[in-house]
Amino acid sequence: MTEYAGFLPGLSADEIDWQSLNFDRGNEQVEIAVPVLSEAQLDELAARVKQASRTYLKSLTTSQIVSIIDKAIARLLDRRDPYRQKAEKLLPLITGYDSEMIRLGLTQYLKTFRRAELHKFLAEDFANPCILDNFQPMPKGGFAKAMGPDLLVHIWAGNVPGLPLWSLISGLLVKSGTIGKVPSAEPLFAGWFAELLAEIDPKLADCLAIVWWKGGDEAREQALLNQADVVLAYGGNDSLAAIRARTPITTRCLTYGHKISFGLVSRAALDTSKAWSVAHQAAYDVIRYDQQGCYSPHVFFIERGGKVSPREFSQYVAYELACFEQKFPRRALSLEESSGVAAWRYGEEMKASSQAGRDILGDAAGAWSIVHVEEAEDLAPSGLNRTIKIVAMDDLADAVSRIAPFKAYLQTVGIAASPEELYRLADSLGAVGVTRICAIGHMTAPEAGWHHDGRFNLLDLITMTEIEASAEKSAEDFASYVD
Amino acid sequence: MTEAQIIDHLLAFIAADGASDDDFNTMALALFAYQFENNQPYRRFCQQRERTVRTIKSWRDIPAVPISAFKDITLSCCAPGEAERVFMTSGTTKDGMRGKSHHPTLTIYNASMIKNFEQRVMQDQDKVRMGILFPTEEAMPNSSLAHYLALAVREFGTEDSHYLVDDGGLDTMRVVLELALAEQTGEPYTLLGASYSFVHLMDALKENDEIGFLPAGSRIMDTGGFKGQSRELELDDFYRQLASTFGVPRSNCINMYGMTELSTQFYDWGNDVSPSVKSGPHWVKSRVVNPLTNEELPRGDKGVLAHCDLAHFNVVSTILTEDAGIETDDGFLLLGRADGAEAQGCSMAVEEFLKAAGGNSA
Repeated sequence: MTEYAGFLPGLSADEIDWQSLNFDRGNEQVEIAVPVLSEAQLDELAARVKQASRTYLKSLTTSQIVSIIDKAIARLLDRRDPYRQKAEKLLPLITGYDSEMIRLGLTQYLKTFRRAELHKFLAEDFANPCILDNFQPMPKGGFAKAMGPDLLVHIWAGNVPGLPLWSLISGLLVKSGTIGKVPSAEPLFAGWFAELLAEIDPKLADCLAIVWWKGGDEAREQALLNQADVVLAYGGNDSLAAIRARTPITTRCLTYGHKISFGLVSRAALDTSKAWSVAHQAAYDVIRYDQQGCYSPHVFFIERGGKVSPREFSQYVAYELACFEQKFPRRALSLEESSGVAAWRYGEEMKASSQAGRDILGDAAGAWSIVHVEEAEDLAPSGLNRTIKIVAMDDLADAVSRIAPFKAYLQTVGIAASPEELYRLADSLGAVGVTRICAIGHMTAPEAGWHHDGRFNLLDLITMTEIEASAEKSAEDFASYVD
Repeated sequence: MTEAQIIDHLLAFIAADGASDDDFNTMALALFAYQFENNQPYRRFCQQRERTVRTIKSWRDIPAVPISAFKDITLSCCAPGEAERVFMTSGTTKDGMRGKSHHPTLTIYNASMIKNFEQRVMQDQDKVRMGILFPTEEAMPNSSLAHYLALAVREFGTEDSHYLVDDGGLDTMRVVLELALAEQTGEPYTLLGASYSFVHLMDALKENDEIGFLPAGSRIMDTGGFKGQSRELELDDFYRQLASTFGVPRSNCINMYGMTELSTQFYDWGNDVSPSVKSGPHWVKSRVVNPLTNEELPRGDKGVLAHCDLAHFNVVSTILTEDAGIETDDGFLLLGRADGAEAQGCSMAVEEFLKAAGGNSA
């Protein structure tokens, strides 16, 4: 079967050069046809989107936009809806993730974009969200209106299903025309969402487009970057550096690089009655999307002195990972990924064979592995795909010095600690670069309105147009009713 | 067995052609017993896998050490300080840690290299004029490739063989001169060196519009791939360019596949077709495995190469590489690196982090 990716208003299918991407997961093969547009077609598309963004999208109120998105999300949450059914069927085949994990993950993720949650996004960034619709009075005097870009270009990366929705919806909320470039690893979801929006409000169709090109295609990337008002890109630092270098200097370029996240478990959580549940939650954060997310944990630092020792905690997590492997088996790995896991695991085994206090827990087939370390050591990435390091330490505060050197790469910390510890640690974690602190078990599901990498989802996209008090005052002099 | 006994046995084994599978197995198990006895980190590595001398009956079951481990741990049967030579990998990952192989003596390494090189590169030739596109052994005493090439020149090069790389890098003028001389004399010429140096050379020659045609019987031997040191080329394009630049048919363009973590090299019989089938001499055997379970894959499936090299007697004979391959009837296809991929998502992978951390904390 062939599924077509992308959403290309104004272009008919036979004008487009299609390339096929094949996904082979054992018994089932899927062929995805992705559009390869010429530079002229990309220019045409950009012009169309900009025009529609100016004339239609910007004429809608924020509440109207929220309402349209809410309807689209409601359809995706409905398991009888054909789009939802397609997502449940195809995303496991494309990404290899367990279908049940995808189903649960999608529902949980989509819930963060319902009407009430969208208002949270708005409220997080704007004290008065009406500023997106009309000029609003400002505390300093005068008035201001937040203007979304005519064309926001997204360059997405990775295979975590649905991830592009976060920035796509953020762009819509500030009324920006959108062209998003989907990654080869998951080229479908963004296009479906665009189709759905266009079904709900056909006039929106021209306000957004979903395109594809092979990663590293400089000419196409450049063609689109030249047209953008704001660029939002995800990926590794090397590809982000290239994108930034190609973005015209007058265009804002927002980059989201790869990140590393970890967990902290205080002795307060290592009570015999509570430790099992924490271990379960920790294992859940590990298995969700096989640690492919920037919010996925690589290391857990465990404090000594609780009723359950760090070593026992490692055993609990091992048990939980083994159970999860039954329920949500890890996806089949590519040779490169297997090799990466193997290299990490063997490297750790070699260290374990020469240093006391290091153990490796894992299943024979290599479906998951835990390295337990008794002597505190620095943060470092795991081998991904359900490999985790658990490090014992006397005082959780010591973890801060273990992560400090990697400030630019830190993101989420999952934490199980008492309220006093939470606030004490939060301050020092923030100081060394951590931008998100959440409960263990919630690491891979940020709440609505989350400030991704500590930045503003909406504010970063807009520009303010201000009417200064002087203009307001001076206008009075020229009023027809002036005495 | 003592080290001296192992060396004697190995020299005899390498010298004797027509060793059977049983002979290989016997030698491999004897060597494993020696390494298990004398190489403590390797012994622990095996014990972790519940493998001992008693439980292993076939060379296929000898635990393969991943090459990444060479960076973390010193694997040596002799006291590391007593080694005649230590070869190190050129990689600068893992916080600048380099993989090491200690050689108490180079006797076995040299015997392995010479016999194999004679059969696979020299073939019908005794001596040939050589040009080396790599620094000298003196300049790079820890490079196994520098030693290998020095040995090639010493054993098989005529007196007027030359290094074509100096402190300033590739000596293009010298190369042009050598090519012209070779053309004049009509004597076969062999150019040997790093694959990326050939790319640099071809780029430089193109700029200068100097194209030489080497006489019939000339050969090219490249090794090591491009490793980010030159532009990356598809193998097919690389050999097509080599052939057209130097006038050496692709069947005489030989690729050597070797590594610091081994004492024996693999070769193909030319590159008419790329990727070519690689094979080694009778004292090395290879398997294609699933890197996570170390289990052998059905023939035709892509996996990671594991080699059992009897000549690497002082370190460990059996290693798990990060090279992808497919087993064939007479060897294996080498299909590039199978090292840790970038994360599929936005999580950071080991390599990228080390690169970042290197720049950050150094």
